Amino acid sequence: MPEPLLYLKAMVAAAIVSAMTVLAMVLARRHTSTTWLNLSCVLGIGLGLVVGYGVVSLRLAWPPVNGLDRFLTITVPLALGIELIAGFQNVPRWFAWLLRMSLAATIPRILLHGSVYLSDSAEGWTPWQTGAVLVLCGALLAGVWSLLSWLSQRSPGISIPLALCLPILCAGLTVMMAGYIKGGVAAFPLVATLVATTIAARLLAQRSVALANLSVPAIVGVGVVGLFGLLFLGRFFGRLSTECALAMLLAPLFCWVTEMPPLRHRQPWLVGSLRLVLVAIPLLVVLAAAKRDFDRDMAPLLRNTEAPTFRLPREH
Amino acid sequence: MRRVFSVWVMTLVIGTVFCAGGRSASAADEYAYDLVHSSVSFKARHLDISWIHGRFNEVEGKFSLDRENPAKSTFQLTIKTDSVDTANKARDEHLRQPDYFDTKQFPTIEFKSTSTKAIDGGYEVTGDFTMHGKTKKIVLVLKGGKEHTFKDVKRVAFSTELALKRSDYGFDKNAIGPIGDEALIIIDCEGMRK
Repeated sequence: MPEPLLYLKAMVAAAIVSAMTVLAMVLARRHTSTTWLNLSCVLGIGLGLVVGYGVVSLRLAWPPVNGLDRFLTITVPLALGIELIAGFQNVPRWFAWLLRMSLAATIPRILLHGSVYLSDSAEGWTPWQTGAVLVLCGALLAGVWSLLSWLSQRSPGISIPLALCLPILCAGLTVMMAGYIKGGVAAFPLVATLVATTIAARLLAQRSVALANLSVPAIVGVGVVGLFGLLFLGRFFGRLSTECALAMLLAPLFCWVTEMPPLRHRQPWLVGSLRLVLVAIPLLVVLAAAKRDFDRDMAPLLRNTEAPTFRLPREH
Repeated sequence: MRRVFSVWVMTLVIGTVFCAGGRSASAADEYAYDLVHSSVSFKARHLDISWIHGRFNEVEGKFSLDRENPAKSTFQLTIKTDSVDTANKARDEHLRQPDYFDTKQFPTIEFKSTSTKAIDGGYEVTGDFTMHGKTKKIVLVLKGGKEHTFKDVKRVAFSTELALKRSDYGFDKNAIGPIGDEALIIIDCEGMRK
């Protein structure tokens, strides 16, 4: 059964730990660089996730036995590790992107490991199907990741990480409404930690000239990998439809609309707000469809039983 | 030529003797699970006041029964989790999700015997029971074992009940709410001699 209060507790705990980690690490040093900020963001996200998932009892199980275990114990730590390496200034950009694209290519295979799709059973895919699904999914992830990172370099600000958190939250709610509660729950600490890290990094950027034009690739990287992982689990292990999953994955790309000439040089707050609104529109449609399906399929299971057709005799 | 012929005859004779010996050494009858006349059903407590009943519609299995030496008997059963049926389509879909059976990750529930001994009125079968990716040793008390030949097909049947805790098999504790942790699995199995 969904426990909204527990999820709220997990989000608050994750957010506090992430924000405090970033603030403490950056403020503890006299001279702060973007490398150090990126490092503190990676650690902040990691610690926030551990605490948040601990509160909702999503333990890091080893060896991982199901898709969600593999997401929490392999995929997210790999994304954090790569962003940690990529954040160092002496690491060539091409090498950082090679690592990111390698991860994007392997995530679908990692998440499907041991599932019925890759088995020899009648339900298993043919080699061609397997290849097509893995390549297409990997390419989608790589595409969204590189386009959002490019945008965040071109036009840095907090609107991109926040716009990325909207579909993650939407994915959590949609996956949950489709009947996969645990899969949906995994989204909430992730959203909280990304929002808290972004706000903490923004606060630090405002008080330091060295950190002006804030762009923290770690937040975008972990966010995109997290969003993709949740949608992939919901689609292939839960009952999330392909259309909904694609709509949520591609929604953050609407941020690119603000790069059109008439909008590009507007005030930053206006551009940021417009990005959030543009991303939110398809997500609201997805949520409405998910709620309709939930009311039709799942709600009758949770409702109280119908009125009894018999009555117990009254005692005299 | 004569020598070649004698070697060929010897091989034939020795082979025949070994084949016959092998057959007499194994007195076990091999049976296949008869899906039409068998069932694997379950029930679990709802709100701790009533029972919810369900069944698995797709089951495969085989067993070999050695009446003279029961320790040589073996039992195997494979239940397809996707075939769960509680007479409510929406609930069945929910049970297939990762919070419950996780049918895309764990498509089967399996039992494979490791030892068998005869008891009064049946057999006590110890084996590995795998569900939701976790394997535990369990003991099944198979009652029955009566034989009947119908239209030249020899049949034998057993019944057993097994109580287990879902939490022991890695089911999410949060999903164990209104539906009780303990489930009772009832197996009525009829085997057809191969």
